[in-house]
Amino acid sequence: MNLRLHIWRQSGPQDAGMLKTYDVANVSEHMSFLEMLDVLNEDLIAKGEVPVAFDHDCREGICGTCGMVINGRPHGPLARTTACQLHMRTFKDGDEIYIEPWRARAFPVIRDLVVDRGSFDRIIQKGGFVSVNTGNAQDGNTLPIPKTDADRAMDAAACIGCGACVAACPNASAMLFTAAKIGHLGSVPQGQAERSTRAMNMVLQMDAEGFGACTNHYECEAACPKGISADFIAQMNKDYVASVFAGRD
Amino acid sequence: MRAFGEIWESNVFQKWLMAISGLLLVGFLLGHLSGNLLVFMGPDAINEYAHGLRTMLHGTAIWIVRFGLLGTFVLHITSAMKLSRRNREARPSRYNTVEHRASTLASRSMLYSGLLLLTYAVYHLAHFTWGVVHSEFYPKASPTGPESNGAEYIPDVYSMVVSSFQVHAISVAYVLAMIMVGLHLNHAIASAFQTLGVRNQRFVPVIRMVGPLLGILVAAGFSSVPLAILAGIVK
Ligand code: HEM
Ligand code: SF4
Ligand code: FES
Repeated sequence: MNLRLHIWRQSGPQDAGMLKTYDVANVSEHMSFLEMLDVLNEDLIAKGEVPVAFDHDCREGICGTCGMVINGRPHGPLARTTACQLHMRTFKDGDEIYIEPWRARAFPVIRDLVVDRGSFDRIIQKGGFVSVNTGNAQDGNTLPIPKTDADRAMDAAACIGCGACVAACPNASAMLFTAAKIGHLGSVPQGQAERSTRAMNMVLQMDAEGFGACTNHYECEAACPKGISADFIAQMNKDYVASVFAGRD
Repeated sequence: MRAFGEIWESNVFQKWLMAISGLLLVGFLLGHLSGNLLVFMGPDAINEYAHGLRTMLHGTAIWIVRFGLLGTFVLHITSAMKLSRRNREARPSRYNTVEHRASTLASRSMLYSGLLLLTYAVYHLAHFTWGVVHSEFYPKASPTGPESNGAEYIPDVYSMVVSSFQVHAISVAYVLAMIMVGLHLNHAIASAFQTLGVRNQRFVPVIRMVGPLLGILVAAGFSSVPLAILAGIVK
């Protein structure tokens, strides 16, 4: 199939950036979206032009590195699918496709479609962990965990930190990501000791990074490739206010 | 320990303030609505009710409620404006194309429906409470001197309402404002549950229903008064 792409080109953080139009021919429907961009880039390199920069790593939907807004939707039109797992059979011959980076103050563009997601790392550093003493691992069965809690923790732990929730949110809010981390550790006994300070510190870091606040549009949930539920945001709101009253920070 | 000021300014805390103040305002609207519907029970019912409100606890009750309401409004509006500004600043560069999947017209227009409501509320007070616009319909001040002959004077709120709403423009503006209230509540109620953390998959279908239902109830309830007056059912 032949496609017309409108791709955001920005040479660096200070550059204003603009959409540029490219035609790609003979795209196979079996290619992934990123492979289609690889083909375009080989073309550009052959012509002596600068290839389009985009992030990618595993290309199997598990690492959270890839990410771009495709026709107005983070990771493209399919639900629960990362850009690397989106295949060209979703498109048809003659389609025009708009490709843009995640847009948020807390995700500054480094180049073209690559953004700096260091703000997520700094949120994790504020409490996205459990402190335990080193030594022999405890016997797995000494800590009883109800099955529903374990499942809930797993549902939250599925977050791959891609940032599509921020990209989709009209307020560029990072609440789904942060809530997934708080909800994951808050659902299991190991996470209880630091539960209160974790909610407080991670939420305040999210504010400090300049993410917006949730107004419950639920665009995040719809865009999330891992189907993280906005129920976790409700839990985070509750945990945060509980920590305000607990005063353990 | 972090200072109270830092917590107060945090996004999630501001969201709680907005949700709690918003729900208090919803409570006020429901109380206001129940009073308005007394129009259907004739002049005496609503006139005595209005008079009762203004004289309860020797006239102090109404001032307690007024100051409470003013504080609630201020809290709601300041948190709404603060969060809306931060949300706008969080995305300095716009997308070329956006395809919405889950948000609604109501959810995306909260600030605008809210600001229109605020504008309308000021006009509404100027009309029915202060009597500075459409003052020709405002009940006369209580007579003094010999003609008052000692009887308790009850202002004719009923006539004010009926004669005002017989003016088409006044009724149309009122109904439009009530549609705005419906739109605001349509998203607001469900949103408040989420903000306050009352949500799991058991409640989701219920919460999804309560917002629109209450929105329609409030909009239709308030609008029924001018519509009944225009239709000549209440005169
Ligand atoms: C009778 C008047 C009003 C009532 C009953 C009301 C009610 C509510 C409620 C219950 C919420 C939900 C809070 C939450 O998201 O957790 C809300 C949100 C909001 N209100 Fe109001 N409100 C009123 C007037 C206003 C006014 C005058 C403004 C103008 C600035 C306003 C702006 C907003 C905004 C921006 C939101 C946030 C929307 C969101 O988070 O999705 N509201 N309102
Ligand atoms: S919550 Fe979903 S969309 Fe957000 S970072 Fe995690 S996996 Fe990506
Ligand atoms: S490249 Fe790893 S999830 Fe897409």
